[in-house]
Amino acid sequence: MTSCAASRRIIRCFESTPGPDRGPRQVRDRSATIPSLADFQELPEHRLSAFSDDQLVDYLRHARDAGRHAAMEAALALLVYGYWDTLVNRARLKLPESDVEDVAGEAVASAIASAFDGRSVGEFRSWLHTILSRRIADHLEARKRKPSTTALPSEHEGDEAVWGTEPALEFEGDALHARDCLERAYREIAEPRHRRVIDLYVLGPHSAAEAGGRIGADMTEANVHQIASRFSRRFRELLEGGETAAER
Amino acid sequence: MSDVDRLFAQYKEVHRSGGDADPGPFLARLAGVERDQLAGLIDAYLARAPRRELDRDAFRDSPAAGVAESLERSLGGAGGLWPVLLPRLRNQARVRRADLVAELAARLGAQSQQEKVAGYYHQMEQGRLPAAGVSDAVLEALGRIVGYGREALRRAGELPAPGGPPPAAGAVFTRPARGAAPEPDAAPPPAPAEEWDEVDRLFRGG
Repeated sequence: MTSCAASRRIIRCFESTPGPDRGPRQVRDRSATIPSLADFQELPEHRLSAFSDDQLVDYLRHARDAGRHAAMEAALALLVYGYWDTLVNRARLKLPESDVEDVAGEAVASAIASAFDGRSVGEFRSWLHTILSRRIADHLEARKRKPSTTALPSEHEGDEAVWGTEPALEFEGDALHARDCLERAYREIAEPRHRRVIDLYVLGPHSAAEAGGRIGADMTEANVHQIASRFSRRFRELLEGGETAAER
Repeated sequence: MSDVDRLFAQYKEVHRSGGDADPGPFLARLAGVERDQLAGLIDAYLARAPRRELDRDAFRDSPAAGVAESLERSLGGAGGLWPVLLPRLRNQARVRRADLVAELAARLGAQSQQEKVAGYYHQMEQGRLPAAGVSDAVLEALGRIVGYGREALRRAGELPAPGGPPPAAGAVFTRPARGAAPEPDAAPPPAPAEEWDEVDRLFRGG
């Protein structure tokens, strides 16, 4: 999306009730619009906190275009702090502690900058985590080639929307293999309502009863447990190298 | 309930309550496939977790504050992501800024103008020097000092695309960066174009 397109865009937000996938401490959306470029208005933090990620990026773009750089502080704080712990803890699954914050910082900076330029792909949160995975892969690859030092210049040739390179090789690590198996188990679920169970209950913040209630009348708590249990079994089967369910 | 399910439920609870959700202690209680399984579940859970509400007190003490500050310089400045990248590279290379500047000046053949090189390098870290004006020679020399490619430095300087009025030369960013010690603003007033010398051309002439 170009800056001009963003300027013209009127953004509608959701009502103040939490979205279906949100946990109790998460951000809520409410009706809001971002002013046009000509009449950019700095908004207080409490209003910005109701904005979606993409709206915050739009707001940042408007603030910069209007030369109101100080107005960017709150929006950046919301985005960076808002995802910091998830980035750091994901990085901890694959990297030594000494590298975790550097990689998380690079990831969030790259993701916001590329979203700012309209170079991101899809939802900001997904893009952010995609960038994090790339940064982790870069980092592991660089360490493999030259342990305990920074990346060699030659490792950063190539074309990418953000600094650094795409990983040339799949990076190693139990967490990545496990993630692949989990995603595969998820993709194998054909029924959308069953996927919702995984989203809301297994990988989401809700209890089995809450997840069942959000999905629909005939999705009982027992059904939710059954679906989760099947998913868990298939995930483990894939982790152990099994192909039976995928090929049946 | 399996050990994996139990530990995963505990992990989600800790994360949702805003506690230190380091996966390490949870993973340490398992081994083999079960450990991998828990790692995969935590990874997928975190990747789906929504944005957390801003807690100003926690933010102030968090490394996230330094990242946000340098991003503010990046987005508001003329040097792309250099305010984020350059201090990190310098820290990773374990080079003090004064030493980096001395070596940069030497590599550029400008030992006698070290102070001027220091000023320009400071502007690069602050996002106040337009990336397009910085020559390949500077980026090549800098890249060799910090172990980073010239082209990668160039690309970082171009993200995001420049736009909007640049910050004033004396712009002050009030929140101190965490980690790196603040250093004095050594930026000299830029010389008028007609009085440019070789160092000006290297840092501003493209």
